[in-house]
Amino acid sequence: MIRPTGIINFAVGEWGMVGAFGGFLLLSKFEWPYPVGMVAILAFMLIVGWATERVAVRPLVEKGAPLLAPILALLGMLVVFRESISLAFGPDPHQVPEPLGFEHQKTWMIAVTLGVFAAAWLFFEKTLWGKSFEAVSLNRKAAALVGINLSRVTAVSFAGGAGVAGLAGLLIAPNTSAHYLMGVPLAIQGFTALVIGGVGRVEGALLGGLLVAFAEQLTVRYAPIPSGYAQGVPLLVLMLFLLVRPSGLLRARA
Amino acid sequence: MRAIAGWLAAAVVLSAVAFFLSSYHNDVYRKLLLWVALALSYNFLFGISGQVAFSHFAFYGIGAYAVVIFLFQLGMPLPLAMLLAIAVCALIALAVAIPSTRLEGFYLALATLALAQLFIVVLNEGGTITGGTGGIVAYRLPAIFGVHISGPWYTAVIVMLVLATYAVLWRLDRSWFGRACRAVRDNPEAAAAMGVNVARTKVIAFTLTSVLAGIAGMVYAFVDNTVNPPIFGLENAFLLLFMVIIGGAGRHAGAVVGAVLLYLLPFVLSPLIGHHHALVFGVLMVAAILVQPRGLIGIYDALRHPRG
Repeated sequence: MIRPTGIINFAVGEWGMVGAFGGFLLLSKFEWPYPVGMVAILAFMLIVGWATERVAVRPLVEKGAPLLAPILALLGMLVVFRESISLAFGPDPHQVPEPLGFEHQKTWMIAVTLGVFAAAWLFFEKTLWGKSFEAVSLNRKAAALVGINLSRVTAVSFAGGAGVAGLAGLLIAPNTSAHYLMGVPLAIQGFTALVIGGVGRVEGALLGGLLVAFAEQLTVRYAPIPSGYAQGVPLLVLMLFLLVRPSGLLRARA
Repeated sequence: MRAIAGWLAAAVVLSAVAFFLSSYHNDVYRKLLLWVALALSYNFLFGISGQVAFSHFAFYGIGAYAVVIFLFQLGMPLPLAMLLAIAVCALIALAVAIPSTRLEGFYLALATLALAQLFIVVLNEGGTITGGTGGIVAYRLPAIFGVHISGPWYTAVIVMLVLATYAVLWRLDRSWFGRACRAVRDNPEAAAAMGVNVARTKVIAFTLTSVLAGIAGMVYAFVDNTVNPPIFGLENAFLLLFMVIIGGAGRHAGAVVGAVLLYLLPFVLSPLIGHHHALVFGVLMVAAILVQPRGLIGIYDALRHPRG
């Protein structure tokens, strides 16, 4: 969920939801083997992300609309995604299977997350493509001047973001089951992790995610408050971070 | 003098409508008026001051819950409860606004989104004070000077609320403050160079519109005589944003058109597509931003003053 484009995407949680429903459709209903289903979902999500960018972002960027316009358009897309899913699958939650059985689900989630993290880190730190993403996030004009294709970077980042978000949705779907309202809480958790860790750093997202999860679990276990309030802890942390240190724990490299 | 006559006429006509409606249609009409009031104040915050905040609907809820809690859980008299509810809204708004002025567009949206979600968590977990997930039910508006206001007369109170909201915002928009808000929205650096205190302008706009939302919430509390967490959920915060954008951000008439259209659309659409009107809203929203960023009111302007 890293946005070198400066456009923060409210639809990211809905991508996760689409991924989860993809899991339900392919794995539960059609009973495809897990690896095939996973690759199919990943490919589908890449297309969804690319299409989202085409429809809701590129026309606005080309028109020179203010930066806020695509963000709001994506908010509209959020509702479109969610309602399409609820129209197609109905409002009831659906079961998504675990690949390795219930007891290994956590291991599997950690493994895939680490895999995605490693891939993202390698991509951003070690490849020319990744460097060009960082250049765009630091200074769009200068990046365009040295010959980076801005609209291609934007398109790839949306496709990649949707791919990762779809995988995330697929991963947590066995625990939470696929539901058409799952997107917004997912997005808020993601944003919280991102803001705490530091926007625009791959390590930041991982660190932030871990911190949020720990904070929530520790308050459930040790803090003298009812467990329902624990849902509020990440939100409170998010607000505090935004107000006190919006750049996050790890600063983007200058 | 003519202006006052105009306001009075509007008040009389809008209130008189209520006396010709059945009790079901009265209920629809009241909620329509409340949405118009909310859209007007949200338009000032989002359209005129350029702050993307998702907390507006939460303040509506804070106002509603606050007045009910002060009245019935703490047994206060109505005027005191109303004043305290307004004070609560103002304090929370200030607490959010003052640090938030350092945040730009998207981060403000996130902080206020977190606030709105936090509000729902507090409502659900508030135990006997907020009534938990069931909310607070079975109360009624106390008598004012021995009179129980109910039926169409209460609709008249809501008409007063809408007109008062509009009057305040209209006056503000025409004053130096409205111009300062627009200047801060369009170019904060230039506004600061012209001697506008950017941070203070933002804080005042946020607090004022949030308090207006809170007052609308206080009035809402006695429409259904029940307050519960789902009413004040995030869905409606999005709906409010859609209303203002589809109607035309930055224009009072746009806010009114958007609120009326999006509130009444589900009644027309539900026989056709059931509960999936939100899909239509989403498509309209994306279409509005892509094709006509100034909303329906922009289309109206273009028809009235064709170019060339």
